[in-house]
Amino acid sequence: MNVVLWILEWFGRPEQWTGTSGIPARFLEHVLYSGLALLLSAAIAVPVGLVTGHTGRGGFLAATLANFARALPTIGVLMLVVLVLGIGLAPVMAALVALAVPPILVNTYEGVRGVDPQLRDAAEGMGMRGREVLLRLETPIALPLILVGLRTAAIQVVSTATIAAFVGLGGLGRFIVDGRARQDFPMILGGSLLVVLLALIVIVLFALLRRVLVARGLRRRAAAPI
Amino acid sequence: MTEAPPVDWGWIQRQLDGVIADRLLEHLYLSFPPILLGLLVALPLGIASARWRPVYPPVLSGANMLYAIPSIALFYLLAPYTGLTPWTAIIPLALYTLAILVPNVVDGLNQVPDHVRQAAAAMGFGPLRRLLQVELPAAIPVVAAGLRVASVATISMVSVASVVGLGGLGQLILTEGFQRQFPTPIIAGILLSVLLAFLTDGALVLLQRWLTPWTRGRRAEAGRASRRARASSAPAREEEAVP
Amino acid sequence: MITFEDVTKRFPDGTVAVDHLDLEIPTGRTTVLVGPSGCGKTTSLRMINRMVELTSGTVAIDGDDVRTREPAVLRRSIGYVIQQAGLFPHRTVLDNIATVPFLLGWDKRKARERAGELMELVGLEPGQARRYPHQLSGGQQQRVGVARALAADPPVLLMDEPFSAVDPVVRASLQEELIRLQDELQKTIVFVTHDIEEAVKIGDAIAVFRPGGRLAQFDVPERLLAEPVDEFVEGFIGYDRGVRRLSFFPARTLSLRSDVVVDAGTSAEKARSVARDAAEPWLLVVDPDKRPLGWVSAETLEGAAGDRELGSLALVGYGHIFVVATDSLRAALDASVLSPAGRAIGVDTDGTVVGVVSQADLGAAIWSAGDAAVPVGGRD
Repeated sequence: MNVVLWILEWFGRPEQWTGTSGIPARFLEHVLYSGLALLLSAAIAVPVGLVTGHTGRGGFLAATLANFARALPTIGVLMLVVLVLGIGLAPVMAALVALAVPPILVNTYEGVRGVDPQLRDAAEGMGMRGREVLLRLETPIALPLILVGLRTAAIQVVSTATIAAFVGLGGLGRFIVDGRARQDFPMILGGSLLVVLLALIVIVLFALLRRVLVARGLRRRAAAPI
Repeated sequence: MTEAPPVDWGWIQRQLDGVIADRLLEHLYLSFPPILLGLLVALPLGIASARWRPVYPPVLSGANMLYAIPSIALFYLLAPYTGLTPWTAIIPLALYTLAILVPNVVDGLNQVPDHVRQAAAAMGFGPLRRLLQVELPAAIPVVAAGLRVASVATISMVSVASVVGLGGLGQLILTEGFQRQFPTPIIAGILLSVLLAFLTDGALVLLQRWLTPWTRGRRAEAGRASRRARASSAPAREEEAVP
Repeated sequence: MITFEDVTKRFPDGTVAVDHLDLEIPTGRTTVLVGPSGCGKTTSLRMINRMVELTSGTVAIDGDDVRTREPAVLRRSIGYVIQQAGLFPHRTVLDNIATVPFLLGWDKRKARERAGELMELVGLEPGQARRYPHQLSGGQQQRVGVARALAADPPVLLMDEPFSAVDPVVRASLQEELIRLQDELQKTIVFVTHDIEEAVKIGDAIAVFRPGGRLAQFDVPERLLAEPVDEFVEGFIGYDRGVRRLSFFPARTLSLRSDVVVDAGTSAEKARSVARDAAEPWLLVVDPDKRPLGWVSAETLEGAAGDRELGSLALVGYGHIFVVATDSLRAALDASVLSPAGRAIGVDTDGTVVGVVSQADLGAAIWSAGDAAVPVGGRD
């Protein structure tokens, strides 16, 4: 069997490129689910991580939470939530957010904690108030790690959103689920390849984001191999 | 809501020796080989990266890139070649561990202070002997910290392999639970998976303490290393994701 | 003036960092707090800008109790320089310096203009404005730290071991720069160090702390070196304090001999008679511009043909010199010890020779300086 030819043949079918079950529509659905979940998670986790990091309280809790979250089988969480709350966008979002919050939270917390105490001393000594220390000093310095947390979460969300098709949602996972049901192997492979493509786009996007957002003065230090 | 309690203890009791045990055993068979295989590949890669600096960035970028690929997609893309054998799960899961293990091996090897390295050379240690007797032992705590993170991540990811039809606790969740609209097997699957992850984590801690008696009482280094591994939450130093 | 009135700081764990401190820090001068580690000097400094809250007593700036002012507002009116500068790695040099003006809500352009002026004041190149801290050397970073503290033109400057992380050569140049700046700006500087040399070099007044947070002695440096109040202070300032004390006596009080200075065109014959008349074993040979060329010994002169010019003889290198108008007795002593002829060459500020002084003459001058500094009943 020639797998490459299979996939090419599948991508070549004209009906793949139009309609609500075509590649562009599914791709967009996937991006929308993932983007929404990531935004919600960031809106919760970044502020909480910044504040807990700034005050130094709750760090142990955040770390334990993240450890526990990593041990959780995502597919089980997703299916349990859907089984209990019913099929629909809201339950899936709840599951995705629950999985994406811990990596963002922990990286943000560690990023702020990792700021050299001397710098904090200098900032306070010059008359910065707590909020100013957080926004003008700690946040920009923690930004590279915050972005790592967001990227980890984004990758996890893209991956888990694929499984969301098993509980009746759209997105690229549909190709895999429907392909299984129809024994259409090229469809499964084509869908998988599209998921890989989206994941790679996420990586590139975060590399660009890093280039745009992280201050030049921090970049060289971070780039030095450890 | 129905009157039925969320967890059906009777079912669990009946299946403890049946489907639950079968799936748990499958889960073990799918989890440990990738972790071991990953370590076997990460050690030479890490040693080479620590010795020849230019090797490191491309190796790390490659590992990070692989880590970003959703497991379900990788399982399916591999299936035409490996079929419905455990290799379909073992190969991708082993590749995922590299993103965690390789940086930890490199960091661990670099832990040996330069003066210790020079003292070893001055006493007549050759490069290989120095690696085996000085650098690798010093690296154990950091490598163990990475191995803990990799094990926990792998054990939770094995559940996805069930979707492809490879068995494991994911099968319990999907077939017994979701398809029959029966929460008990889902909850049992989640808890067993988490339990397995934590037990493995604990066993690795004990193993590390037994291997490195000199770190007892001053666990700061290993603590710091695992703290960092925790912070980057699996893949990667932020910096080298894309060259 | 900054006043400490019966100030005590006790930390929650019970340790007393500062114990009933009374101190008056004069306005417009540099006051150095010095002592071994754990003596409470840094804690005392940090109580001025409320980075540490005192347990009892009062710290006041020009009569205003610092506790009546909101910490952030108080701190913006006080410059703060710490070890290793504490520069923000994500900001350019220029924006680092403009930190406090930004906090005070200055217009961005005005704040950066001011930062540019300060760069010049502390001796940084304008080209470094757009650089980031990690691209600067340790000494340059510390200059940025000083510029940042001065940005909002605060009357008070707190410096907490600012130069202790740089190498000795850079440290010396930073110290000199600070002395020059202070001559110009006349700020009230409170400077913490554990290095008594540094304290003596830059301080107008020195407060020596003893372990346990008690003040041992507060004096001008000359007096501190001449009259340590007890064995602790004496031990702390070190055994060569006698020599260091000479730094405070000007070299211009020395009487220099110009009769042993001869022109390079002089004949050996003539020089022999000069040496005999002066009863000196060495003559200093100078060029027509009166700059030193080297020493010639009476022995060499005896062996030379009478008509040879001194410039053509083998001269001994002239070694070290001191500037009569600006250097201290210590520099003169240093020059004489290091001179191959055992004599120090005193020059004018333009480098022309004024005269030479022998170690014996120097000894007499040092003797009388010692007398002058010790009041009746002194212990030296």
